[in-house]
This record gives sequence, C-alpha cells and structure tokens, in this order.
Amino acid sequence: MSSTITKLNAPLTQAFDFQPSSELQFTPTFNTLTQRLADFDTLTSALEYAAEGITGYNFYDAKGNLRSVLPYGRLRDNARAKAQRLYSFDLPRGSRVAIIADTSPEFVELFFACRYAGLVPFAMPIPVNLGSHAIYVQQLRGMLDSGEASIALANIDYVNFLEEAVEGVESIRWAGTPSKLGELPAIDMEFQPNHPDETAYLQFTSGSTRTPRGVVITERALMCNLQGIVRNGLEIRPGDRSASWLPFYHDMGLVGLVLAPMVTQLSVDYLATRDFAIRPLQWLKLISRNRCTVAFSQPFGLKLCTLRARETDLKELDLSCWRAAGIGAEMIRPETLRNFAEKFASAGFNENAFLPCYGLAESTLAVTFSRIGAGCKSIQVDSKTLIDKKMAARLQADGRKQNEFVNCGRPLPGHIVKIVNEDEEQLSEMMVGSVLVHGDSLMTGYYNNSEETNRALKSGNWLDTGDIGFLFGGDLFITGRRTDVIIVNGRNIRAQDIEELAEQQPEVRSREASAFGVEGEDGATTIVLVIECRLASIIERQSLTTRLQQLVYMAFGVNCVVELVPPHTLPRTSSGKLSRFAAKQGYIQRTNLAGQLSFVESGDR
Amino acid sequence: MTENNYNEIMKLLCDRLEGVSNSNVQITSETNIISQLSIDSIKLLNLIMEIEDTFDISIPINALTDVQTVRELADLVYKIKSAS
Repeated sequence: MSSTITKLNAPLTQAFDFQPSSELQFTPTFNTLTQRLADFDTLTSALEYAAEGITGYNFYDAKGNLRSVLPYGRLRDNARAKAQRLYSFDLPRGSRVAIIADTSPEFVELFFACRYAGLVPFAMPIPVNLGSHAIYVQQLRGMLDSGEASIALANIDYVNFLEEAVEGVESIRWAGTPSKLGELPAIDMEFQPNHPDETAYLQFTSGSTRTPRGVVITERALMCNLQGIVRNGLEIRPGDRSASWLPFYHDMGLVGLVLAPMVTQLSVDYLATRDFAIRPLQWLKLISRNRCTVAFSQPFGLKLCTLRARETDLKELDLSCWRAAGIGAEMIRPETLRNFAEKFASAGFNENAFLPCYGLAESTLAVTFSRIGAGCKSIQVDSKTLIDKKMAARLQADGRKQNEFVNCGRPLPGHIVKIVNEDEEQLSEMMVGSVLVHGDSLMTGYYNNSEETNRALKSGNWLDTGDIGFLFGGDLFITGRRTDVIIVNGRNIRAQDIEELAEQQPEVRSREASAFGVEGEDGATTIVLVIECRLASIIERQSLTTRLQQLVYMAFGVNCVVELVPPHTLPRTSSGKLSRFAAKQGYIQRTNLAGQLSFVESGDR
Repeated sequence: MTENNYNEIMKLLCDRLEGVSNSNVQITSETNIISQLSIDSIKLLNLIMEIEDTFDISIPINALTDVQTVRELADLVYKIKSAS
C-alpha cells in the first residue's frame, strides 16, 4: 500500500490535530442518500451503504466543543485499513479481539475493522472508580480469559492497564494501541463477506473477575433487533439525529446509539460518559443546539440532569426537538420522569417524548417498546394483593397502600413475552411471575459457558430474563429485577461479584458471603454484604469490615453495609446454595427495617 | 507552581471533603477517601467538577484509579496543574 493512502487512513484525531477545532464541521442531519431502515444482512453491508452518504459520528469534549468528526465514509475507509493490519496476524475467522471502549473514533473504527476482517470484537469497560487500579486489571483479565481474546487493543490512556491485564492470558497473541497496530504491515487481501449466522460481537454483562459472561450475538440476531428498534420502536425517519453519553461498552450505548444510527444512516453527537456524569447539562445542550430527536438514558441520567439544572441553564435550552426520549436499562420509577418533565417543561421538553422500554443484552438490546409519542403510562396496583396473591389488582379505593409500575409496552415484531410461575407454567394476565422472552434477537448463548447458557435458555429457546413482572392488555410491566443484580445509581452490579470479592479474603470461606440491595424510603438502594464470621477479636472484625467496604468501593464505586454474623446464620437451599432472597429477609428482620419485606422473590439464577 | 499552590490545593480538598463527607473524621492529607469518608459517586463527581472549575484543569479518568488518600489526590491535581 502506498504511503499516501497510509496517510489518508491515519487515525482521525491525528489528522485533525493540525486544525483548530473551530474549523471542524459536524456531519449534517439530512443525508444525500435514500434512507434505508436496517434492511441489511450484515453490519459491514450496512456500513458500505451508509458510507455513500454524508452523515456520521461526531465527538465532543467536556466543554461541548467538537473534537473529531467521523463520517460513515471515512469510518469505512479507516476500518478497512485497520482490517488489513489485523490480517497480518493470520487469525482463524471468528477469533476474538478485545477493545477498551472509550468514547472515541478509534473504538468504532476498530470495532468495524474486526467485522471486515471476519473477527469478533468485544468491548471492555474503562476504569471509573477511585483507587480501582488493581481490581480493574483483574476485571480486564477475566474478560480476556473468558472471551479467549487473541488481540487486545486500548488507546494510549488505558494501554498500561491492558498490558498488565494480558500477562498470563494464554490466548493473547498481541496487545497494544491503535497506532502500534498501524505500524504493522497491511495485507492486501480481499474481504470475505460475513454470513448472517456468524457471530457479530460478544457483549460482557458483568465485571466479575472469576466468571464474566460474554453474550454471543449473531449478525442475524443483531439486524433483527435493530430492525425492530428503528422501525417499530422509534419509527426512524429522515431528519432524525441522535445524541448520546451512554458508554460504548454497554448494550444500550453500543447497539442502541452506535449501531442503530449507522444502519439508518443517521448522524450522532457523542459526549464521553465521564463528561456527562460531571456536567450532565452538556448532553441537553447538544440535543438543543444540534436539534437532536432521539436520545436515550437510564433513569439515573435523567435524575442527574434534574439535580444539576439551574434556572439560567433552562433559559438556554430548547428541547422541543426531542421526540423520542428512550428510557431503559433499569427499573423505571414514574416520579423520576415526572420530576424531569416538570423541571424541563420550560425548556420545551414534551413529556410525551418519554419512551419507556425493556430489554437486556441476552436479547441483543430491546424486547419491548411503549408506543412512541404517547409518553410514560403507569398503573397503580394494590400492594397487599401484590404480596399475598402475586397479582396486580388495579387500585379501587383511595387510602390503600399502592405500588405504581411503568408500562414498558409490547414486544417487538417476531418476539413473544410470557410470564411463568416457579413450575414454569404460563400465567394469565395480571399475575406476577418470571419474565421469559422468545424471538430472533436472542443470543446463541454465553461464550464457552454451557452451564450458564443452559440456566438462561430454557427448552423451546425461551430466555429467562431473571426479571419479575406481569402482562396487562399485552403490555409488559416490570415489578422487580432479578435478585442476583443490584442496581445502584444506574449501575448494574452482580451480587455474585461482590460475594466473590469477599470470598477472596482469607477470613471468609466460600459460600459464607451473601450480597443484596435494600431499598430505603427515598428509593435509594444500599448494598448489604452479610458475612458469616468466626473472628472474635474486635480489631480483626473491624479490619475485615473496613477492608471489605474499601474493596467494594474500589471495584464498584459504591458504599456498602457490612454485617458480620455467626456461622450458620445465612439461610441455605436444600442443595446447600445460599439464598440471597432469604438472606435479605433475615437481614431486614434483624435490623427491623419497616415495610421492606419484598414481594419480588425470584430464584437466584 | 509553588509550594503555596500545593498548600492551597490541599486546603481546598480538605475543606470540600469535610463538606461532603457524612462522617465526623478529621480530614488530613493521610485520610483515605474510600474507607474513611463515605462519599457516594454523585458527591465525588461534584467534587471533581469543583476541582476542575477552580483550577481550570481536566482530570483524566485513568489517573483516578491510583488515588486513595487526600494527599494522592492533591499530588495529582498539582501535577496536572503544573503541566498545564
């Protein structure tokens, strides 16, 4: 390959270092191409089409300045150039490539480079917590091992973590930065087309150090889900534009706000997650300034915006362009949405834009969408009937204790949701039970982990989501999340991961730690870690408690309550397994927390 | 940057941490932010925003992974400020 072409294919940020950012132009909203709505067989064929137009991805810094622009045409060229470098490793088709996914053009280029080269990318998180260095490296190593990665990539900010993590990982052939990859010889080989049945990517759902699970998603499942999202969920049309702060290593960030816009040839404006977390109003300013129409968030992100907005900010914003404010990825509390709508009404936000949806990485991303343009609908049910009969009865009289649940809408075409009891018998409408999903968006399994796969995928290819809910008028209402996931400040934390951390301490034996979340009156979740402890010395007990709190903070960025109890206190199932649900009930009884007894029991999957 | 600047950074951090911490711990340069102060993620983000605005710097996320004590945070801010 000639050096001129090499220069043309240089990473974008370098190419633009020579220009003041004021000269950068973001990609337009309206395209020169006829819009196609995800009617492609593979990701690369979708990119080949999008590359013919003038839309693409735009990256902004913490202050809202445009830092780099990646039109789909240049994305295709850069991805192909990087794919030729990847060919020089001569890897078998389908080999895994791990990439630390910060919000950057390089990540997207590498992701598509893998698909051009017939390789399977997976995104790894960036470190987010104070003092998390050692634990973060362990988490990376867990994913590299579990995904059997051959190649691992990170940009200059994170490559030192990666180099520590790849030590001792047998499958790794090469690790480095994108620019180091660029120094390798380009192999001029013809790209083999991908088949819809091939794996498109792996999605890791947990930061567990010992048992991370990589969800396997095929090209076919991906395109099926994307079609449902953009046609039925969002009714995408010309003139749409997205803005996103969601991390690229989460399913909602990657599938929903990187891949869905690309397969519909839309422009997107990105803000790094860290920059959003510190200055959430930048996201709303982007939406307002660039007239974005589609933007998703977890409820927690909306809460941050509501907390931070001042009157002067509201005057600068015009959010009337925002027609689809997708809400998902955690339990939706109606008051979070109400508070947001109230706060931003004067800035032109229309509450009918709220679009609650439900999904999970095991079904690519989306399962149900509420009706677009209809806003957030909820139902009030009688609390006592809910607990006693596991039934959602609409509230008849005032004054009774009630629960309010958000309508998450109907399954995408080609998907079915059913509710079952503990014996896996299908329940009728309004009855509360486990939420199961069937359809073409489902994963083929967890990579190299048949045990976990068999636990999640039931006979007839029904996915047990682990979530609890009921159907009403064909619409899905989620009443509780699985007991094995604790959601704090919008982050999903697996209870098992916390227990593993505890069990790595010399004083704690395996199966003697139980972690769960307890909700306070204000709806905030506190993590509780109960340990069966044989230590008698107060100093030793205090040392263990402090160390555990510190470890949990470093790994997950959250505080937790540690309770040391005598051996044999934690309830076990007949097979000797700890029951988190029973452990939580025991803790609540011991600490006398009023009104906390939960009705959302689910099996510890 | 001088020693005075360093002391100024340290003083601001101690004051701010005292303001956001729930505990009654006396904050010194050796206080462990993680284990001794119960600061949740929102308060931490607020603190970082204040530091960034006060000193007109940007704290890279990867650098925070090696910060546990107040001194380590002050050192980091000082280093970034000196380089800018």
